[in-house]
Amino acid sequence: MTTLEPEPVAREVRFPDPYEIETPAGAEGWEEMYPYYLRFLPQRREADGGRTWFRDGMHFPEPMPPFDIVSAEQAFMSTGVMNTRVFALPPALGLDFRVLNGYMYMSALGVEDPAEIGRRAEEFAVRVGHYYKNWPSLYAAWEDKVKEQIAALKAITLPALGDFEPVENVLAGRGITEANDLLVAYQRVLASIDAVWNLHSEMLNMGYAAYLNFLMTVKGHFPEITDQAVAQMVSGVNVLLFRPDDELKRLAHKAIELGVTQQVTSAADFASLRADLGGSEAGIAWLKEWETSADPWFNFSYGNGFYHHHRSWSDDPTFPLAMVKEYIGRIVAGENLDRPLAEVEAQRDAVTAQYRDLIPAGPDRDAFDEALGLSKVVFPYVENHNFYIEHWYMTEFWRKMREFGDLFVRFGFFDRAEDVFFLRRTEVHDALVDLQIAWSAGGPPIGPVHWPPIVAERRRVIDALKHWTAPPALGPAPGEIVEPMTIMLWGITNDQVERWLAAAAAGDQTVLEGFAGAPGIAEGPARVVLSPDQLDELVEGEILVAPITSPSWTPVFARIKGAVSDIGGIMCHAAIVSREYGLPAVVGTGNATATIRTGQRIRVDGNVGVVTVLDD
Amino acid sequence: MAPKRIAWFEELRISDRPSAGGKCASLGELIAAGIPVPLGFTVTAQAWAEVIEFADLGHRIGDLTRAVDPNSSSALREVRQQAVEIIHGATLPPGLEEDIREAYATLCARTGRDDLPVAVRSSAVAEDGAANSFAGQQETYLWVQGADQVVLRVRDCWASLFTPQAVAYRAKLDQAHRDEAVKMAVGVQEMVDAEVAGVAFTVSPTTGDPSVMAVNASWGLGEAVVSGEVTPDEFWLSKIGLTVTRKTVTHKAHRCVPAPTGRGTQIVDVPADIADSPCLSDELLHELGEIALRVEKHYGTAQDIEWALARDPDGSHRFMLLQSRPETVNQATRAAIQERTAARTAGAQAYLSVLKGLGLPGQGPG
Repeated sequence: MTTLEPEPVAREVRFPDPYEIETPAGAEGWEEMYPYYLRFLPQRREADGGRTWFRDGMHFPEPMPPFDIVSAEQAFMSTGVMNTRVFALPPALGLDFRVLNGYMYMSALGVEDPAEIGRRAEEFAVRVGHYYKNWPSLYAAWEDKVKEQIAALKAITLPALGDFEPVENVLAGRGITEANDLLVAYQRVLASIDAVWNLHSEMLNMGYAAYLNFLMTVKGHFPEITDQAVAQMVSGVNVLLFRPDDELKRLAHKAIELGVTQQVTSAADFASLRADLGGSEAGIAWLKEWETSADPWFNFSYGNGFYHHHRSWSDDPTFPLAMVKEYIGRIVAGENLDRPLAEVEAQRDAVTAQYRDLIPAGPDRDAFDEALGLSKVVFPYVENHNFYIEHWYMTEFWRKMREFGDLFVRFGFFDRAEDVFFLRRTEVHDALVDLQIAWSAGGPPIGPVHWPPIVAERRRVIDALKHWTAPPALGPAPGEIVEPMTIMLWGITNDQVERWLAAAAAGDQTVLEGFAGAPGIAEGPARVVLSPDQLDELVEGEILVAPITSPSWTPVFARIKGAVSDIGGIMCHAAIVSREYGLPAVVGTGNATATIRTGQRIRVDGNVGVVTVLDD
Repeated sequence: MAPKRIAWFEELRISDRPSAGGKCASLGELIAAGIPVPLGFTVTAQAWAEVIEFADLGHRIGDLTRAVDPNSSSALREVRQQAVEIIHGATLPPGLEEDIREAYATLCARTGRDDLPVAVRSSAVAEDGAANSFAGQQETYLWVQGADQVVLRVRDCWASLFTPQAVAYRAKLDQAHRDEAVKMAVGVQEMVDAEVAGVAFTVSPTTGDPSVMAVNASWGLGEAVVSGEVTPDEFWLSKIGLTVTRKTVTHKAHRCVPAPTGRGTQIVDVPADIADSPCLSDELLHELGEIALRVEKHYGTAQDIEWALARDPDGSHRFMLLQSRPETVNQATRAAIQERTAARTAGAQAYLSVLKGLGLPGQGPG
């Protein structure tokens, strides 16, 4: 007999104690890559060891390079300041976060005192009320603010640091020198990311809260409704995350129109294609179309934007070019690549109407309409912010930081520009001061003898940490989980915790449970993809198994039969994209990439959220 | 016009309960709604009333039951024995037996089969389910063949009013309710040789969720499910799009099939190769779900449906509904579930209650 109900688990069960976890072999000394305030310090063993910590593998699936942790700091800090200080969520503050063996863990801070909850509720009503009532205009303003920030970041220029201060500075009597410009440029970059992450979180929690409100309204009437059915009712059909893929299809059509398919489909890489097409009018016209698409739409991370090495389509056009080739072939073969937007929308509205009809007319149906209406108002922001921040802005951010890397390479600090990401942000500051001093005085910087062995060692440690399997949670089993972001985005619910505990207790690895991200059932060989550079290995008909998929992987969804992720709730990108593509998806399984091996036959049941390993 | 002794299902509507009993009236209503139901007729409550009057059963059995001590099980058994003898030995009003035989012959002709196997079932007139149960009005005889057997089983259904528990139950009632409790119709319907059978609820029996449907199914006739002989497969469907959302496939060791004698049924082992297989495919569940939704829509309220899947010799299949009645979900269960949900989300609720007081911009769908 097969049963799909999770086994009940006794509450005494604990997740591993963060203070008992050992350092993986070869990763000794990992701690010095991260600031003191992010580590489980022995002095805080009693306080931190007594709390529940959830791994944030959704945003941070890999060990953090020392500089990249700035993205984690910004993400958690901005969520925190909005919850705690800006909107005064009554029962929830922000999230504490720590790094353990290179992996990010978070722990929610709550408000227990009813009087304090009441005080916060008054503030919350005024502040959040203003946002909800003026949402469309605030969202329009938000888009402008983000675009301004991106333009400002791109405008930050690093000083030339040639043999002499530029003569025009001297003739203008400027006084302030390029040595100062260098430091200011770095400070402006750090201030920029800090500002942009404030914007990222400005409206996000309210968006999720409105959604949670709808979810709970619906669950009150339909206790057994799947999360995916609820999500479907509010999902937009024309989401920015699909735009880059639409641009690839547009470029395929343009190539046919301009008669350059031969050159495009036979190109070895983008550089040779550019050279090839540069000689003809039609070729130049197509390249212009490419540039139009690329800015901003190819600022689309291969990963999730939180790591410097995830890169984007514009940093590395291999993948978009391959997809344009594939789309050309499919168009020539007579396939219609257009997404049936009207159909998807009509289907969504039909499903919504069917549920609505099951609710008795009167106050209950009115409440449903109100909750749905609010969700629809906030959803464009919820669905689109990710492209603006994680993809577009972060692509520009890492690019700007590589300019500092190039400068360090020029002055002999490192061999590779990428090495800059193996310094902590305060260490980058130190190295810049080193460079300032050296350039100013005309002597040699000290960095070139100091940093290379440290960077080499840290690269080795990060590699060792990659092979460590981070537990989904640490510390005692939690009480009720109420923080909306935790539930909606990370998919950490009371039921999910029970499943993790059950899995830890049972050790059964042939059936994995997660969230029903997108409906349907598929069977096929698994392809475990741990990083974007493995995407090429995906063969038609395989099932993608990944820690978390990135929206920029969207085009490969045309090739696969289903998707499984370690991390993510029903609003995560894998689920959104799978629903759009009509592929079954199970998200938030916790440990699919550690359990499933490439080549194993698996079954993905996106109706109930179960993955079964069918053979070895 | 004098009330009819025999009524064909297709002539009946739900309002005919006083003459046809709830079971048969509901089948008539289903036919009117275009739902597939086995062919059949009712020997009405009027016919039974005529029997009582013609054979003077009111006195002969009434004297027996009035005198019995409802706490003495041996006395009750004795009453039953005598009542069965009286009912089976009673001379029926002129023409009634012929009417039943003629209706059966017509049924055979309509289905194109001599000696058509039929199910003969009591069909209670009283609304009270508990009364029906105690009054023996749930009696069903399966795989009855030939006019003689049909008449015999109709008499058995009448006699089932005098089981010890029925007599004891009625002894506690006042006269008006007692009179009501002995009114009964008998349904005679084409037997469905079910490959698979079971029940369907058009609302979650565990949480009362109106957007889901639960189906229990097992191999063979539905009696194996109803009697608890097997743990049936359990399927859950979402009413929206009628997709299967959950399956629990059990080991179904036994099934109820027609007896080799051609009369009655027996429980046999299920062949090993199908005992652990789901007995309905997603396609069939979809088809059954559509029928169940039509029934629910027709009545405007959630239904508890008995169904059977017949496999014809040419390999085609058809679903038949054997019965449908309003499903009253256990309200206490539903309240408990809601309380648990509320407790689990208490923190979020506190937060969201603030949201709800804001008078937010809402727009209805469409």
